[in-house]
Formats: sequence, structure tokens, C-alpha cells
Amino acid sequence: MRTADWIVLFGSLISIIAYGLYRARGSNTVDRYLLAGKSMPWYAMALSIMATQASAVTFISTTGQSYVDGMRFVQAYFGLPIAMVIVSATVVPLFHRAKVYTAYEYLEQRFDTKTRALASIIFLFQRGLSAGVTIYAPAIVLSIILGWPEQLTILITGATVITYTVIGGIKAVTWSDVQQMCVIFLGLIAALVTCILLLPQSVSFGDAVYLAGAANRLNAVTTRFDWNDRFNIWSGLFGSTFLFLSYFGCDQSQVQRYLTGRSIAQSRLSLLFNAVAKIPMQFFILFIGAMVFVFYLFIQPPVLFQSAELGRIHNLAAFQPVQSDYQQAFERRRQAALGLVEARHNGDLAARARESAEYRSAQRSLDDVRIRASRLVEQSGGEKDFSDTNYIFLSFVTQYLPAGLVGLLIAVVFAATMSASSGEINSLATVSVVDLYKRYVVRNGTDHHYLRASRWATLLWGACAVLFAGFGRKLGSLIVAVNIVGSLFYGSLLGCFVVAFAFRRVGGTAVFIGMLAGEAAVFWAFKFTGMSYLWYNLIGCAVVVVTSLLVTAVSAKPATQSTQ
Amino acid sequence: MDHPRDVPDDPPPFLRTWKRVYVAVMIYLGVIIFVSYLFTRAFR
Repeated sequence: MRTADWIVLFGSLISIIAYGLYRARGSNTVDRYLLAGKSMPWYAMALSIMATQASAVTFISTTGQSYVDGMRFVQAYFGLPIAMVIVSATVVPLFHRAKVYTAYEYLEQRFDTKTRALASIIFLFQRGLSAGVTIYAPAIVLSIILGWPEQLTILITGATVITYTVIGGIKAVTWSDVQQMCVIFLGLIAALVTCILLLPQSVSFGDAVYLAGAANRLNAVTTRFDWNDRFNIWSGLFGSTFLFLSYFGCDQSQVQRYLTGRSIAQSRLSLLFNAVAKIPMQFFILFIGAMVFVFYLFIQPPVLFQSAELGRIHNLAAFQPVQSDYQQAFERRRQAALGLVEARHNGDLAARARESAEYRSAQRSLDDVRIRASRLVEQSGGEKDFSDTNYIFLSFVTQYLPAGLVGLLIAVVFAATMSASSGEINSLATVSVVDLYKRYVVRNGTDHHYLRASRWATLLWGACAVLFAGFGRKLGSLIVAVNIVGSLFYGSLLGCFVVAFAFRRVGGTAVFIGMLAGEAAVFWAFKFTGMSYLWYNLIGCAVVVVTSLLVTAVSAKPATQSTQ
Repeated sequence: MDHPRDVPDDPPPFLRTWKRVYVAVMIYLGVIIFVSYLFTRAFR
């Protein structure tokens, strides 16, 4: 990091927070603090929804994912427009007319207190855990790439987020998100342009796209159906629709964004903007990863991008043949790539086919050597299922981007962390106060009392997130577990809301039993099948709906008979 | 804790009805998947 980078980094972050706090003036009632007084315009909500959804890890690992596996990940977003249309048509007007602060408040109006309490606790559990991971995961990447102390990064991020979220409430969160998304867009465009400019003179942009495609890095759509394949068009269209329905219909961290809208139309527009913009945005991020892959066809990358683990295995005797084979495989691939470009320029089809086969073969050899290096990390005491995907993009940024741009891209990482984290902390505080504290602890407090409680809850959840992030290294593989925890619970929550909206005859007890059955089914699928997590939401939702209907039907029969 | 005031349900700023907007979004999704498919095939 050079002086220009520090100036850009701190300049970006300070201006984001100052602007957020400036726009949050007057958040002095609960309505204003938690729902911005229902005054937000659609574009601010739209960018806030986008920012809350895109954490730093999503952003860092998406580019890395494309580098190693191509652009298939974009299919996971194909269900998003479908989900947004359904949520806009059904959930948004219902929540607005029910005049609720949280999604779970509606469940008490529709069912009973125990269903509301169960849904709130499920949300607090899963979102509370992931709030810590949101802060911890980028901190560990930054600590390895830049050498910054992990705890310091966690503290700086956590303290900043807590400060503006506690002071300004949802208005500060939303307006900061708008700024953060602007910084993220700016950083991404700068990264792509720089990456293309850094390619050798003899390689045009068209050549770069051609080379990425020849290495199967532009595989945006795969039509083959496979339950165990995470990303294909079918899991994207059907599985991810349910995931996004759960996320935008039942997760308070998203619901709260669009409940701040000044009208139903404004809330709908914010969601439909995401329906239209999200896939191209993900496509763009993945395309950057593919271009970074092309860049490294001509500049030799390290065997592994995780420098700490690479340093650890570097002196092992078993590493020397790996390094030597890697050198050879890289040179072979570089020659093949140049040969392929030349054949393309000459229009020589036979040479193109020959060079293409050689290029792919060399790529496979290089992949094999990287797998051997990863196994060496695991065998020499490193983490199990080692992967350096999250380190690829930031390694490229810090080593090859010019002064100023490195600072901007690091600001992007911080901005993405803060936007995701502030949304989580804000929604956790809202559910704690509205669904639990006000319902079970102090039922008849003043507006000022609940405003203070909301600020304290925000501070408390922020501190919990920082504490949890601080123990991240000791928790190790819990991060993976936390990601799975989210997908384990979303399906049942969605099923509960589907029953609430679509089946008026079903009561609280039936849906409560349905949720328990849904959870059992999802845990069974998780434990005994290897299916992609995208399907858990569909299974959980379907089991809740079917079980609720069955319980209602069975419990209704004796009542009918006794009446007769 | 005061509840927020009533929220109006306005028509969309374009295409006149929300139903048409939803259909437009679905058509957009179909187009974007088709274009992504063509993109994949073109550079395979």
C-alpha cells in the first residue's frame, strides 16, 4: 500500500460514513430509526438491497470462482427475477398494509405468538452467526494479503459499522449503502479496465475473450441436470428461486430495506431494479475473474495464492518437484496460448484446433499441479479441503494495480463488509426489540424507551458480531458450517410465509408442526444426501406446506363430525 | 411505539399496470438466459 492508496482508502471510507450520518439526521423516533419514517426513495432502497446482499466474501470469492471454475456461478442468480416478481406482487403489499416493522410481526397477526417467536428466534440464530462471519472472513483475507493484524481489521470494521448504525439507524445504513455501492461499481470497472490494459500488446480484448472461452472460463450456462451439481440452469431457475424467495420474503435483513419505502410502488421498484440489475452485475464480476485468468496466462502466478500456506510448504522436500512441474506446465500453457492467438489471427483452422487441444491439455496439467500443492498443504498440517480461491483477486490487485487503485479496491472490500454487516446488525436489533423485547419484556413503554432499546440492541449485536469475528480463527471450519446453517433454516421460514399468504384455513398449531417437519426433512437431506444446498429451500418449503395442510385436514375432521 | 401511516398503492411509472411490468421482467429474464446461452456456445 502506497501513500496514494491510503489517501484513497481513508478518503472513500470517511466520505461514505459522513454522508450516511448527514442523511440520517432526525432519526429520533422508533418509526424513523427502524423504518426511516417510510420516506425512502426506490433507488436508495434498491442499492441498499444490493449492498446488503453482496458481502465482501461474495465479491472476493466470486472473481476467484470464475478464475478456477468459469462463470457457471451466474446461474445461481437466474431465480432472482422470478422471486422478485413474486415478492413484489404478494409480500410487499401485505407487509405494507399490515403496518409491520418486521416480517415476523405479521406471523402473529396471521397465526399466533408461538409461530412469531419461533420464526424470530430462527432468524436471530442464523443471522447472528453470519454477522460475525461477514466481518471475520474478509479480515483474514486482508491480513494474509496485506499483512495487517487480523484483530485490528476486525476492530476497525466493527467499530465503524457500529458507530454509524447506532447513531443513524436504518437511514444511515441505507444512505451509506448507496455510497458503498457506488464505490464498489467504480472499483470493479477500474479493475476490469486495468486488467485488460495489462495484457501483452499482441493480445487484444477479443483474443482475451477467446482464450478465456477456450479454457472453459466463459461457461455461463450449463444445461445438464445433476442434483449434486451446485450450479446449472435447473438449480438456478428452480432451487435458487426458493432461496431468493426466502431471503427477500422472510429474512428481516432484506425485508426491512423495502419496508422503508414511502409507498408500495417505491418498494416494488426497488426490488424490480434488483431483478433487472443483479444478473448483469454478477456476470460482470465473474467476467473480471475470467480476465484475471487470461492475465495470468502470460504472467506466472504463484502455485498457490494463499501466501501464508505457500510459505509454509515452500521448504518441504515434496514441494520442489511440484514447483518444477508447475514452471513447466505454465510455460507450456503460455506458449500454447500465444500459438492459439496467432492461429486465430491467421485464420488457420487446422492450427487453431491443434493449438486449442494443446492449450487445454496444458491447462489440465497446471490444474493438476495446483491440486498437488493443495494436497501438500493439507498433508503438512494445513486446513482440510484447502482452497485459495478467495485470495486470487486480491493477490492480483495488490501486485499489479497502480497506486491509488489498490486503495480503491481495498475500500471496495471494506465497503462491501460494512454494507452487509450494518444491514444485518440493524435488522437483528429490530427483531430483538420489536418481536421479543416489546412483546415479552416491556409491553407498554414509551416511544423514547423503545428508541433507546433499539440503539442498545444495535450496539449489543454489533459487539457480538465483533466478538464472534475475533474468535474466528479458533472456530476454524465453523465458517463453512455457518453458511450451511442459513440454507438449513430458510426453507421452513419460507414455507411458513407461503402458508400464511396462500392457505387461509391453516392455523398456528398446524404451521408450527409443519415448520418442525420441514426442518426434519431438510436436516435429513443435509445428512443423508449429497444434493446442492440450493434445493434445501424447496424441500423445506414443500414439506411445511404439505404437513400444515395435512394437519389442518386431520384436525378439522373430528370437529366436523362432532358438529354433525 | 407509533405505527407508520397508511401507504398508497400507486401504479408503476411505466407500462401502466404492475402486471405488465412483471411480464416485462420475465421476458427480460428469458432474453438474458438466452443471450448467456449464446455467449457460452460462441466461446466454448
